[in-house]
Amino acid sequence: MKSKTSPPRNPTLGEKLHHLLISQEGVLFVIMLVSVLFLATRTDKFLTVDNLLQQGRFMTEVGLIAIPMTYIIITGGIDLSVGSILGLTAIVLGWTWQELGFPLELAIITGILSGTIAGFVNGLFIVRVGVPPLIMTLATLALYRGLAEGISEARSARGYPEWFFQLGQGEFLGIPTQLWLLIIAVVIFGIILARTRLGRALYAIGNNETGARFSGLTVNRYLLFIYTFSGFMSGVAGYIFVSRVSTTRSDMGTGIELDVIAAVVLGGTSIFGGTGSIPGTIVGVVLIQLLKNGLTLSGVTSDATIVVIGSVLIFAILVNNFIQSRRSEN
Amino acid sequence: MSKAKTSPVNRGPEHFIGIALALVIIGAYFLLPFVIQPERGPSTVAVVTESKKANELKIFKTGVELIPLAGLGVLLLGAWNVIVPGASRAISLLMSVSGLLVLVYYINFTRDYAAGGATYVSSMGSAFWIMLVAGVLCVLQILMPRGAGEGRYRITKLFGNQESIILFGLLLLIFVVGIANPRFLQERNISDILQGNAYIAVAALGMTMVIVTGNIDISVGSLVGLLAVISGRLVVSGLPAPLAWLAPLIVGAGFGALIGFLVAYLRIPSIVVTLGMLSIIKGILIIWAGGERVRDMPADYFLSQMRPLGIPMPIIIMVALTIVVVLWMRYSATGRAFYALGGNAEAARLSGLSQKRLLMTVFILNGIFIGVASVMYSTQFNIIQATPPPALELSVITASVVGGVSILGGTGTAIGSTMATLLLNFIRSAMIFINVSPFWLKAVQGLLILVTVLADLIRRRRQRL
Amino acid sequence: MKRTFAITLILALLLALAGTPLSADGHERWDGADDLAVNPLACGMGDEMMDEGEDMEEDMEMMEYDGGMVAMGDDMAGMDITLVDVPKLVGIGYFAATTLGQQQAAEELGNVSVTTDAPTEANIDDQIQVIDSYITAGVDGILFAANDPVAIAPVLRKALEAGIHVVGYDANSEPDAREWFVNQAEFNGIAKALVDSLADQMGAEASFGIVTSTFTTPNQARWIAEMWAYASECYPDLTWLETLEAQEDAVLSFQQAQTLINKYGEDLDGIFAMTSVATPNGADAVQQAGVCEDVAVVGLATPNGMKPYVNSGCVRDVILWNPVDLGYAAVYVMRAVVDGEFQPGDASVSAGRLGDLVVVNGSEVLLGPPFTFTADNINDFDF
Repeated sequence: MKSKTSPPRNPTLGEKLHHLLISQEGVLFVIMLVSVLFLATRTDKFLTVDNLLQQGRFMTEVGLIAIPMTYIIITGGIDLSVGSILGLTAIVLGWTWQELGFPLELAIITGILSGTIAGFVNGLFIVRVGVPPLIMTLATLALYRGLAEGISEARSARGYPEWFFQLGQGEFLGIPTQLWLLIIAVVIFGIILARTRLGRALYAIGNNETGARFSGLTVNRYLLFIYTFSGFMSGVAGYIFVSRVSTTRSDMGTGIELDVIAAVVLGGTSIFGGTGSIPGTIVGVVLIQLLKNGLTLSGVTSDATIVVIGSVLIFAILVNNFIQSRRSEN
Repeated sequence: MSKAKTSPVNRGPEHFIGIALALVIIGAYFLLPFVIQPERGPSTVAVVTESKKANELKIFKTGVELIPLAGLGVLLLGAWNVIVPGASRAISLLMSVSGLLVLVYYINFTRDYAAGGATYVSSMGSAFWIMLVAGVLCVLQILMPRGAGEGRYRITKLFGNQESIILFGLLLLIFVVGIANPRFLQERNISDILQGNAYIAVAALGMTMVIVTGNIDISVGSLVGLLAVISGRLVVSGLPAPLAWLAPLIVGAGFGALIGFLVAYLRIPSIVVTLGMLSIIKGILIIWAGGERVRDMPADYFLSQMRPLGIPMPIIIMVALTIVVVLWMRYSATGRAFYALGGNAEAARLSGLSQKRLLMTVFILNGIFIGVASVMYSTQFNIIQATPPPALELSVITASVVGGVSILGGTGTAIGSTMATLLLNFIRSAMIFINVSPFWLKAVQGLLILVTVLADLIRRRRQRL
Repeated sequence: MKRTFAITLILALLLALAGTPLSADGHERWDGADDLAVNPLACGMGDEMMDEGEDMEEDMEMMEYDGGMVAMGDDMAGMDITLVDVPKLVGIGYFAATTLGQQQAAEELGNVSVTTDAPTEANIDDQIQVIDSYITAGVDGILFAANDPVAIAPVLRKALEAGIHVVGYDANSEPDAREWFVNQAEFNGIAKALVDSLADQMGAEASFGIVTSTFTTPNQARWIAEMWAYASECYPDLTWLETLEAQEDAVLSFQQAQTLINKYGEDLDGIFAMTSVATPNGADAVQQAGVCEDVAVVGLATPNGMKPYVNSGCVRDVILWNPVDLGYAAVYVMRAVVDGEFQPGDASVSAGRLGDLVVVNGSEVLLGPPFTFTADNINDFDF
């Protein structure tokens, strides 16, 4: 009520900083710093450039898929089929190369294309037929995994040429190759979400889909785009994954959807839509990856690690809720 | 709306035919000499096998002709009632279908019997079970007149809700697969599928309530695993079996209360809470159990293997709980409030319902249902695995949403989720019976899930028009 | 139009189901084993197995060491070493047993400490990440059971380059990514033991189904491929009905076994269960269906899981190596490698209470022939 009378003025640097600090991403960033510092005191192996870069390599697939997932969750939707699309892409890549004799470059394109089509099919049914996203992608979670299994007939494709591994196992300018890809994607799609009409449209859809329709937004086109985009990114992640582990199997990427969703909601994206950001998501991805790695390095076994990660997830959202509600009260 | 208001009950001659038919069928069921034997209960299989061994097959000839006749009668009466106004059309159609099924079983029976095949015995048994159902339907169609809205003869009206779509999908599946491979229809197979998946159906009941309020629980699988091991270890340590059955319900309610508290009072979205709990509970289970399976449970512990009145316990629990939940959600104030909460949380708040208490209630109830499911799971085998059942949460959520629960909350029924559980698992088994390549099983299953969901949507869309 | 589309779709689907164009042909060679060469043993029952094993050893002695080489590190001979054991996953009885064996060996040796850490699901990527973290943490040796032989290879090579000794057990990786692999039993030996047991119980003209984990699990796929090779050579009249997946899922294993029983009725004489989860639950299905006499369950399982069924007489044979010994041997092999007592080219290695274990296939240490648990001896084992 008081703010109503105060004259508008430019915020000072301190206020800006304060504002940033108590934003969703800010709170999470502080939690991450605290965790990192804590882990660094437990073991000196953790906070080294090599180790951190290696973790960057491991989190690329989750990070890439988390970008479209953020878009989708901002609109109030969800995509559970990303893990299956990853597996399908991997299988199509290996199968077209080994069984159909495609040149490997073409096989990669075919693989990513099939992932994109899979995402497009999701989007088409969600937009045209009106299947709720959760139900549609729950069904295609089974369907795409089944296709991968059927196409591969339980065989794996191995023995790729050396250049194929450059993306997954090589380095460029001292940094894992795929991490470059992730950084570029984060910057581009972060800016798109924060600064462009597409981004604003997504928030508008998430806040009030009917309202967005009435205000003349081509909601269907945006939705179709983000689900297709999700398929595309899962496809790219599938290619990177195959390149990193040097083989294809139809069960690749099983369960990755939960990792991705955990990272996105940890990053402050509301599951009900309308809020969220790419920086937040990336902090979420990084936090989970560093916790996994740091806890292992300090002698905590995996079974206890998942307990910690689960607790951090709940705790981080709790703290954020608390701070945001205090903030809105002020 | 339709202006046709048919008179509530039009007692034409077909009703009396129905009564007579019902009496004949039910009477025949109990009177035929080989159906009931006091020490065995109503198991045709055992008795017929016995009589085959003793070369007493001639008693078959005495009552067997009744089966096709009664089946045909039920089929025709059902078909007649669909066309002529009077009885509830859904029940009439069910009658036709059950009549048809009886005929299919009878044809299988004669075919197998002539060829000396192995399945004629259970075809016979199944035919009798369905005859019994048909008899009950004959009575029901007299008691339940057609509703006011059902006046016009449009076959599509039969598919007025997701439950009936699933039911007809289920019957169609059984019919088609039964023709392709009669062994699918044998009594034991049907009963195996029903009892083997009953625990999923029970967990899906809890999930349905949670989803109706606009929430979700993805920690089901971990919790079932943990509660099963708790129950098993308690009974092995000497606790009486009934207490070991009760313990998971209490612990489950405790976990439910914890989740409910986080969701309701600390306002963390349920998907976040349960995503976290999924990892936490799983970690606890693995650390605590250390991979050690539970075994050597006392003989009276195996609840799921009990057969009171010859009916497997899991089926009884599943049916009973489904009925209870259906009635409770429809008629109790709290049950109806769940729908209000999911339909429009703001409206529910304004109408004076305590949202927090409702959320607590629904998660505690869900925890209790998970407890029941875990007991059904842990008493199924002589060994309890120390790991959570893989991907159980996916099966449970799929069953709930396919059963017509809108994920946005506010709609959905318990009976739909139970039937969806059965449909999904019948599909899984049926695919094997008709020799779908094992590599393509998952793909076909996924496609069928999609088709079921689409059928529901097309129906909703049609209703809106 | 959409309605027409939907109806056409459903009708097409039903037609597809009724016509079963995706029909499974059980008589084709079932092959999830990536066309790797099979090597069936000679026909015959139990006793000859030892001879076969010896023959094989003679063949294999000619093979050169094909394992990897560890980078030069500090000489740790006789010093305390820290090992990490990364099985496929934690939380299941089988790997709890290998862990137990490792702890026993560590206690006996006195200068070894082993920690077991693995993902909570058999996930290839999580396993890679766990191993990678331990390379960074700096252990002296890694014991592993691979979820995928190819996928795990790069991270193991990284360990070798970092001077960390790598020894596998239970599930192999590409040979050059580790130094030694402790092989619990040869694939063909397992296959022979399983098929012989079924033929012995139900006759050489029996029909059988298989319940496996997934078609892509390497060990199971190889066993089935070897079973196929051995059965078609030695028992051509066995009928191979169907192979079903059941993951490592107790309920699914039970239901798949039920489905086999119901689908094939009297035509089914046996079920092969390929995992330590599928075997007890397959046996449970047979027992609950009351067909113990007609359907033999033959499978791989740990004795504790099978005691109820073997003691009740429903299952005659359970075939498995001793996983406790497997873990035990892995630690001894690792110690010998670190101490420099076990070098490429050696024909055997000494492994504590197990005596000398022979080297086969270039760089594999063979634990011994598979062990058969029966009602007479199963109660002597506790794992």
